[in-house]
Order: sequence, then structure tokens, then C-alpha cells
Amino acid sequence: MSTLTTETPTAAQLDPRVLRERRERRLQYILPIAAIAIALGLWEFLVWYNEVPHYLIPAPSLIAKTLVTDWSSLMQSAMFTIKLTLMALALAIVGGVALGMLFALSRPIEMSLFPFAVILQVTPVVAIAPLILIYVSNTFVALLICAWIVAFFPILSNTAIGLRSADHNLRDMFRLYQATPWQRLRYLLIPSALPYFMAALKIAGGLALIGAVVAEFVAGTAGQNTGLASRILESSFRNEIPRMFAALFLVSVLGVGIFLITAWLSRAVLGHWHESEIKRER
Amino acid sequence: MQAPAIQLSGSYHIDGTCLFAPIDMTLPAGEWTCVLGRSGVGKSTILRLIAGVRCEGDFQGEITASDGLPLVGRVSVMAQSDLLLPWLSVLENTVLGARLRGEVPDLQRAGNLLEWVGLARHAGKKPDSLSGGMRQRTALARTLMEDRPVVLLDEPFSALDAGTRADMQDLAAGLLKDKTVLLVTHDPAEAVRLGHQIIVLTADAAQPWTPPSLPPIRDQYAPETVECQAQLLAHLRRAQ
Repeated sequence: MSTLTTETPTAAQLDPRVLRERRERRLQYILPIAAIAIALGLWEFLVWYNEVPHYLIPAPSLIAKTLVTDWSSLMQSAMFTIKLTLMALALAIVGGVALGMLFALSRPIEMSLFPFAVILQVTPVVAIAPLILIYVSNTFVALLICAWIVAFFPILSNTAIGLRSADHNLRDMFRLYQATPWQRLRYLLIPSALPYFMAALKIAGGLALIGAVVAEFVAGTAGQNTGLASRILESSFRNEIPRMFAALFLVSVLGVGIFLITAWLSRAVLGHWHESEIKRER
Repeated sequence: MQAPAIQLSGSYHIDGTCLFAPIDMTLPAGEWTCVLGRSGVGKSTILRLIAGVRCEGDFQGEITASDGLPLVGRVSVMAQSDLLLPWLSVLENTVLGARLRGEVPDLQRAGNLLEWVGLARHAGKKPDSLSGGMRQRTALARTLMEDRPVVLLDEPFSALDAGTRADMQDLAAGLLKDKTVLLVTHDPAEAVRLGHQIIVLTADAAQPWTPPSLPPIRDQYAPETVECQAQLLAHLRRAQ
């Protein structure tokens, strides 16, 4: 004889707030995926319906096919771009944070060096890249410098502002507690600067990729490299439009990946205390 | 540590403009002194001067303790904003002073203090998840944790609702007994309820105001207390 058991939902499972949260969490994934799927479907349909030649606009299915057939060479290029982007970002973080701290500690140093940072920031990297490629013999290092220049400024600027943004009443309190300069930095200034730094990291992550791609484009005409931007250029010269789109797709995926990682990092670091990341009931 | 009396005499100028003329005031040892006065008259400046924190103006005079020892390291401050570090938990905020001095925090004592202020169950929470009253109680626990003989309170209860404010006044008066306390406030009722000594600060002088004969913490409904509050309020309005 078999026993029939029924599961009764618990009060927590029936709580309208819990149900609403679950629904919102599901929609958070479902809606963007559905929107992208619909856009791709529409693209596929319009290309097929209008019989658009693949050398003008390839269908998503053809781009996917190209991704599969050229996977190894495209991945090799993607790895090059990833390496370049991440190294540029890492150097931007190290340089930006170190110089930002120096700026926050000393006004004269800031006044002396800030103009150089601004000049580097406002001069388009496409204009500086050819010079860097001439003066730096190693192409990878030259590309790295270009990508670093683009990613460096937001980190520097936000770190310096963040370190100065600590509440003056809290500074007074630390003075009252006779905190040493190091303790003030460790327990007050750095945590106060974290929201600014995390915002800069989100921007710099994307900029490092843009810098890497732009530098590759500039170098692609003169130097040797195997990055995704060079694949796009090369495919363009050969009129291999599906391959261009496939490489472009990988650049976008890389950008989205960087954004998701930096956004996750920001939530992990600030989520338990800072207003920008705390989830509140609406 | 025995709480000393504090004597302040002097004047204060900001960019050549006099904030307050030469004044003389004494904070009696182990008692509460409540300072009232219109906004901008220099109440918080006096508090900052005693605390020894940065002030923008120029103070000419002296601040001395009755035991002749310097005040540095013997003062704790509780301000209108709770000044909690949002990235630290209630317990971590409570033991911040010890942590900054490189001492091993006395977690047992911190736990007891949090229990006294009714926050034992919230020790692990971040300030953001607490109500205004709970945050001020955390700030009070941190002030008490410092166990300094001189405690300076700069409108610490002004942002709280009436009920919570009365609760906090009771709590603070009980826990800061025997300390030399300076309370800067805008609320005559608070000053009359808590002060052993009441001072009305004007640009010219620090005028003492006679408190009710009952000892603090006073019954706010006692006729003498109500009468004193009304007269003090009228006096403050006239002074403005």
C-alpha cells in the first residue's frame, strides 16, 4: 500500500513579500534574456525575409556558425585582449590608488601632478597611440600603455576625492581618539573612499577594454598583434563580415563580463553597509 | 578616574569678528552642566574647545581642569549625529576607541553596555539597519565604553522623537552619573530636567540660570520643573 504525502507550503513561502521578491529575482534574469532572444530572432527573420547578403549583414545563425568554426583562432585573439585589458586595469588600479593617496595626503603634490593626469585623460588615445608605438619597441607594452592611460584617470580622480570625502565630524572623532595617521587611513579614509573607488572601477573596467581595442586598431596597421580588434580589422580587409561580427560579439561579451565582475565586486564590498548597494524594500 | 571640574575663561574670534566676549564658566566636578543659547552663539565651539578638536577661529583664554592635569585623553564626545562608522557593526563601533588605541577590546564590558542600552540582540547589525534611537544608543554605549571622566554631549537627543528622547535622557543620566558632563542643547525642558547647573550663553556672557531645587533627573511634570521650563523659555525668547 502506498502512502500519499502532500507538502503544505510554509507561512514564509506564502508571504506576499517573499513571493514578490522571488518573482522579481526570476524576472531579473528572464526579462533581459527574453529581450535579447527576441531581438536576435527579429534580426534573423529580417535578414532571411529581405534576403540580405551575408557580406552586408550576416544572420545571427551565421555569426554563431563562424564562432564555432573559427573558435580556436578567435579565442586566441580573445585571450590576448583579455590579458591586455586585465593588465591595463591592474596597473591603473595600482597607479591610480597610489597617486590618489599621494594627492589626498599632499595638496602641493596634487597641484603639481594633476595637470599631467588631466592632459593624459583629455588627449584622445588614438592620437597618442602612434607616438607610443614609435617610442616603445615592444608592441604589447605599447598597447598596455595606451589602455592604461584610458583606464587610469577615473581611478586616480575618484580615489583622491573619496579619500577626502570622510565626514569631518568623524575625522574629529578620530583625532579625539588620538588615532595615528595610519589608523585614520586604515579605519576611516579608505572605507570612506571605497564607494568612490568601486564606482571608478566599474568605469575603468570598461575603459581598459576600450583602450585595449582602440590601441590594437591603431597598432594593427603597423605592428604585429593578435587581439580581437586586429581580427576585426583583418576580417574587414578580407570582407569576411560574419567573422567581423563574431569578433565584435566576443568584444561585447568581454565588456559585459568585466561589467558583471566589477558590479559583483562592488556589491560584495559595499552591499552590507553602503546606501548604493543595500537592497531595500520599495 | 575621579572627574575633575573644568574652568573655561576667554573669548573667541572668527576672522576678527567676536563670537563671544570674555566669558567665565565652570563645569562642576561630577555634575551635569547644560548650556543653552541661540544658534551660532558658540555653544558647540565651547564644547569643541574643551574637547581639543580643530576650531576655525581664535580662542584667547584658558581651559583648565581642577586637578591640574591636561584634558587630552580624558574627554569623550557624543554629538547630534551618531558618528557611527557604517561599515562596522554595533559591537565594533562600541569598541572603536580601544581598537584605535591598539588595546584588546573588552568585549565582555561592551556586551554589558549594549545590554544596558538595550542593544544586546543587535550587536552584530550594521548601523544602517537600526532606527535613529538605536543608533544614538549605540553612540551612547561607545561613549560609555570610553569611560572618560569628562563627557561632552552636543545636542545628542535633538533628532529623536519625544518618547525616545525622554528614554535616552533617563538612560544617559543614569549611566553618566559622577562624570563631569557638558550638555549643549536647544531644549529648555531637557536642560531643566537634567542640569545640576544651567547656563544661558549670549555673545556677552555665560549667565547662570537657577535650576529647580529638586535634584536631577527631575520629574518633568513637577510644578517647579514646569515653572522653571516656562521661565527659561521666556528668557531665551527675550534674549533673541
